[in-house]
Amino acid sequence: MNEFCIGGRLTQEYALTASGLVKLYGGKRVVDGVDIAVPTGSVYGVLGPNGAGKTTTLRMLLGIIEPDEGSRELLGRTSPRDASDLVGYLPEERGLYPSMKAKEAIAFMGALRGLDWKTGRARAVELLEAAGLGHAADEKIRKLSKGMAQLVQLLGSVVHQPKFLVLDEPFSGLDPVNQERLEKLILAERDRGATVLFSTHVMAHAERLCDRLAIIAKGKRRFEGTVADARATLPYTAHYVPHFPNDDIAASLPADARREGDGWRFTMPEGGIEDLLLKLINAGYGISGLSIERPGLHDAFVRIVGEAALKEDAA
Amino acid sequence: MSNFRRTVRQTMTVARRDFVATVFTPTFLIFLLAPLIMLGFGAIGGMGAASMADSSDKQVRIVAIADDADRDALIEADKRVRTVFRELDAPPPLRVDAPAGEGDAQARSLIDGDEIDVSAVMYGPLEKPTILYGPRGDRTGDYLATLASDVLRDRAAGSPGPMSSATKEPFERAGSSIGGRGQAAFFTVFGLFFLTLLLAGQAVGTMAEERSNKVIEILAAAVPLESVFLGKLIGMFGVALLFIAFWGGIALNFTTVLPADFAAAFAEIGPAVGLGTFALLFLVYFTMAYMLLGAVFLGIGAQASTPREIQMLSLPITIFQVAMFGLSAAAAGSPDSWFATFAEVFPFSSPFAMGAKAANDPALWPHFAALAWQLLWVAITVAIGARLFRRGVLQSAGPKFRWASLIGR
Repeated sequence: MNEFCIGGRLTQEYALTASGLVKLYGGKRVVDGVDIAVPTGSVYGVLGPNGAGKTTTLRMLLGIIEPDEGSRELLGRTSPRDASDLVGYLPEERGLYPSMKAKEAIAFMGALRGLDWKTGRARAVELLEAAGLGHAADEKIRKLSKGMAQLVQLLGSVVHQPKFLVLDEPFSGLDPVNQERLEKLILAERDRGATVLFSTHVMAHAERLCDRLAIIAKGKRRFEGTVADARATLPYTAHYVPHFPNDDIAASLPADARREGDGWRFTMPEGGIEDLLLKLINAGYGISGLSIERPGLHDAFVRIVGEAALKEDAA
Repeated sequence: MSNFRRTVRQTMTVARRDFVATVFTPTFLIFLLAPLIMLGFGAIGGMGAASMADSSDKQVRIVAIADDADRDALIEADKRVRTVFRELDAPPPLRVDAPAGEGDAQARSLIDGDEIDVSAVMYGPLEKPTILYGPRGDRTGDYLATLASDVLRDRAAGSPGPMSSATKEPFERAGSSIGGRGQAAFFTVFGLFFLTLLLAGQAVGTMAEERSNKVIEILAAAVPLESVFLGKLIGMFGVALLFIAFWGGIALNFTTVLPADFAAAFAEIGPAVGLGTFALLFLVYFTMAYMLLGAVFLGIGAQASTPREIQMLSLPITIFQVAMFGLSAAAAGSPDSWFATFAEVFPFSSPFAMGAKAANDPALWPHFAALAWQLLWVAITVAIGARLFRRGVLQSAGPKFRWASLIGR
């Protein structure tokens, strides 16, 4: 069994496993054999471009819709429905009853998951105050701003203290302040012991939050691993600024070198950069600046998704 | 927690939300008072129509052209015979005119004149009078002929007035009359139809809110859609019971202040199974009708994605309900006919027709059989409705329905 280091703890358990998930819409395989294994207590990201099949995958994982092929096990139950009281969910399309008060809306979502109304209301007030929305507890949803309503819905998904939290594009529509609040809430949920699975196409959030992630493109899983694993799929790059620039310098640089500002960016040579630097110094270009950088998750994502598109086109 | 307990809890959470969201709004007050508004409009319309009819009826007369020798006898006979008619069924007032020239010309002059509306006019000797009557005067013409005959019979007998002196004593039945049961059966069908039309029809549009607010995704993730479906049905049923309790309470209190003779007029109208049992059966059959039709409406309503589509769907639904009412009303009028049996067996008319049967027939065993049959159909309809509901709101077939999953652990 694999062992993962999650938030400084070792875990050998999976809160969720799914194997070979397939969903057909109108004969088209919108999800095509996706495997996912989410370690218990981790923050797991499902990344993918628009229309990749992320939401459909999440809906199958939660049992909202049934896969045409494949199997799932959520918190030890082969039917995700049987674990519904232990799960929190924020759907991509936000929805609340406009005539409900904020605390009632949160308590209602808790009640759907087995929390009694009285406890739900009390926790709702606590959560709203902690989120800086204490003043809105008795306000009707229709009177709240879009961002506030979104936060209310998010609080509704955690009010029953779920063991497994699924957030579909949770950052969309939030201003930067609320995005940071949400990041803190996700980490707080993980620290409480919950496993968090969220989808996004904003790499910065995934890079900061995810213990592990999967990249889905064109309905298929194209990558699974840690953020570092994803970044490692691309070689290091170097950014070199010559002291004495000259138009002939390109001939001395690797073939993929391209201009970037005052210098050149290129992939690190396989044997290291030392020989290249010696060559450049001896040729009289000198070194005004040199930085060696690991590629970001964004670059890895673009490459993986781009390769997936090429494969699809070739097929 | 067992699946069954969880299903019940989830169902009741949805039901509670729908009940509260419906009842604690100003619009519910309008809904609750809808019958009053309908009665008010009906009363205003009725009064207007009655006023128009009354003013035109005031001008209508039957006329006898008779000399003084027959005048008083005809008026006396009219007074006597008129007592057998109820006020609404009575012929127009009698006017006796003295002959002035040719009878036919005098009669036609009255008919064509503007002084009165002549319903029928009689002239000539009473032994062989001529009676002219208008389009609605056939029966009033017969009435004039009867008066002439009575006058002559009195003269032949030598003494005017009735020849026998009867003793009239009112009696009271131990139960309802055959006609009264028939009337009770019709009122039952109408009551059940009216309540389901007003209340179960509400289920058609209940999914519109969830779909427009995207709440359905929250519900679908937390609760099986079968529970959402049942919860909505039960929530709206709670609203229906509140409505019935409100108006039932008013009706009961109203009967206590009715004048005794008014109440006596309804004494012969009653169900064959007895009032207590009938009330219970009425409630049970209303529940069945509500669940059966409500499940159909909710399932169909879930297929609509816009208010316009819901409006479009409402028409065939209402036609279906009216068809069930027509079938059951016909069954109530002919309790032993083949179509009465058909209405009692056909699942969607069965609650109405069996309600009528409770009014017509004292036997109780058919009701147990019918309730078992209807329960089976409620289960089938709810299961099919829930599948339609799932397809409609999620465009997904969902897992295969397992009855065992409801009760298993």
